[in-house]
Amino acid sequence: MSAQPESARADSGLAHNRSRAGSGGPRYPGWLALPAVSWYVLFFLVPLGFIAVTSFGEVVGFSDVAYTWSLDNYRYLWDDIVGEIGLYRTIFLNTLKLSIVGTLSTLVIGFPLAYYIARYAKHKTLLLLLVIVPFWTSFLIRAYAWLIVLDPEFPVFRALGLSGFIESQDLLFTPKAIYIGVAYNYLPLMVLPLYAALERIDWSLVEAAQDLGDPPWRAFRRITLPLALPGVLAGSLLVFIPLTGEYIIPVILGGNKTFYAGNLIAQQFLESRDWPLGSALAMVVIGALTIALLVYARALGRQEQHG
Amino acid sequence: MSDELTMWEQPLSRRGFVAGATAAALAAAGLGRFGAADALAAAEAEGTLFYYNWAQYVNPKTYAAFTKATGIKVKKAFYDSNEILQAKLKGGARGYDLVCPSGYMTKILIAEKRLQPLDWSQLPNVKKNVDPKFRSQPADPKSAYTVVKDWGTTGFMYRTDKIKERPTTWKEFVALTKKYSKTVMVDSSPEVVGSIATMLGYSYNTENEKELDQVRKVLLDLKPHIVALHSFNYDTMIAKGQAWMGLGWNGDGLLLASKVPAQYVVAKEGGEAWIDNYNIPVGAANADAAHAWIDFVYQPRIAGLETSYTYYGSPLKRSLLKGTAAGKLLADKVVFPPPATLKKLEFNKVTAKGTRLRERIWTEFKAA
Repeated sequence: MSAQPESARADSGLAHNRSRAGSGGPRYPGWLALPAVSWYVLFFLVPLGFIAVTSFGEVVGFSDVAYTWSLDNYRYLWDDIVGEIGLYRTIFLNTLKLSIVGTLSTLVIGFPLAYYIARYAKHKTLLLLLVIVPFWTSFLIRAYAWLIVLDPEFPVFRALGLSGFIESQDLLFTPKAIYIGVAYNYLPLMVLPLYAALERIDWSLVEAAQDLGDPPWRAFRRITLPLALPGVLAGSLLVFIPLTGEYIIPVILGGNKTFYAGNLIAQQFLESRDWPLGSALAMVVIGALTIALLVYARALGRQEQHG
Repeated sequence: MSDELTMWEQPLSRRGFVAGATAAALAAAGLGRFGAADALAAAEAEGTLFYYNWAQYVNPKTYAAFTKATGIKVKKAFYDSNEILQAKLKGGARGYDLVCPSGYMTKILIAEKRLQPLDWSQLPNVKKNVDPKFRSQPADPKSAYTVVKDWGTTGFMYRTDKIKERPTTWKEFVALTKKYSKTVMVDSSPEVVGSIATMLGYSYNTENEKELDQVRKVLLDLKPHIVALHSFNYDTMIAKGQAWMGLGWNGDGLLLASKVPAQYVVAKEGGEAWIDNYNIPVGAANADAAHAWIDFVYQPRIAGLETSYTYYGSPLKRSLLKGTAAGKLLADKVVFPPPATLKKLEFNKVTAKGTRLRERIWTEFKAA
């Protein structure tokens, strides 16, 4: 924040107001935020608090929890992640792989689409609507839809004689089906922020670069890409973070036989009924994501200062 | 654009505020449990029965007949594993009037005090018609909380038109799974772990860590050849040809055989015999309606309707079922296995320790 020169403050006669405004930001009626904040505290922070408290407990009998304030669950997870068994380590690494590949695939598919709509399309609204409208359907139904389309017996494939080809690709109930389902379901989350960033670009800058001798790819790299970067980062976050907890698509399209962090945590709560361990797992995932986000925000802050 | 970036910064600078809210939330959480979410709006007395059950476990005709006879409407919700039922009841779900846990889960729920005692004065048909074998069970020796719904076995089924072999043992089942890679299994660790345990000559309920380790090895070896793990529609997958073999329950096996050429087998090494029970959870909104339902389905005609739909064994006296829709199933060895078959099978008696060990194996199996 830049400092005001002494003379200006004295002259303006606003010195009185300035000191009352505290750090100098505009005054706003704080109570307007109360509904949102209460909702946030009650339905997010309080349940999160329960999970944190439960993670320090121990399971008793089949499903009861004793709140013993013990670190056993975390010790158990730590031993597994750094030790030789690495069962949970494998699951977390698989989740990371799914999240990264999912994010990259939505980026690869979504960027050309958003670019086309932002720069060249005549009917932007219609095209955006086509991207958004499937999103209005239940997430579950969109996953189930792929069960039909990836089935070699799908009538369209049979009519076109493609059944054999699809069968040979061995898609349904494999990780490939999971990646396809993920790319489809998360695409709008990537396309919209990308479009928002690309839409603000002044394309005359790109034309100017080309007039000055840059080939199109160079102009893209030096002008379009840096300007689109915030959209890329926003879209990536919007896809990556939910993907770390993805649970439904591996169950429906993957045949319920692959374990990612979301499935693992759900299993602890629903089937194993070991709530303390499940809570500890959840806290680990949340903790890892929070750390990653803090690092990202710091990096962004530094870029803002220097950029 | 720069606006978007600085908005990321702001939550960090409001550190004091966020810390304060978080502290308040943790304090509230540490003070004790608040009431957990209730089930859907409570059923009115007399008017509605809220029946939480396995899917496709009741003949649609029975619902209609019940409503016609008593005027009580039936609201339904479904689960596909005993563990989810227990998790829901533990989580505080209230308002379910009638649930159908398997025997071992009834025992657990009684121990956790989640069931309410039955009013036997409202169950004259049950007292009259139940087969003496099912008057009591290990889970509830005095039948204070429980009436048997049906019973069945766990084994495997296969398409006779896709597989030329005719397996009769778990060993063959495992070998064929590796050969064709077209097997589905129910998504349930007790059934899968227990069945493989019997294949290796151990008890279905073993808690011996060395023995379970052997089971673990077999399962991990088998994993790449499994198509899917679903408790709900695995038989449909076999009917569609997405799989050719399945590890599951006899009723589903017979249902499959009614659609496509298939055979259900109780493996020679052993397996599970199970009972499914009617129980009324604590917190039921309309326990009278639940009693009415139980007594209603213990009429021979209705029991026959049920068995002819689910293909699971009826707990009524066999003589009573003779003229009903289930009459011709009385001779079916899959629906009503003969004593020789039943001798090989064990009831699920797994303890908490055994459950932990099995769940660990199951997690490894799924992560493989």
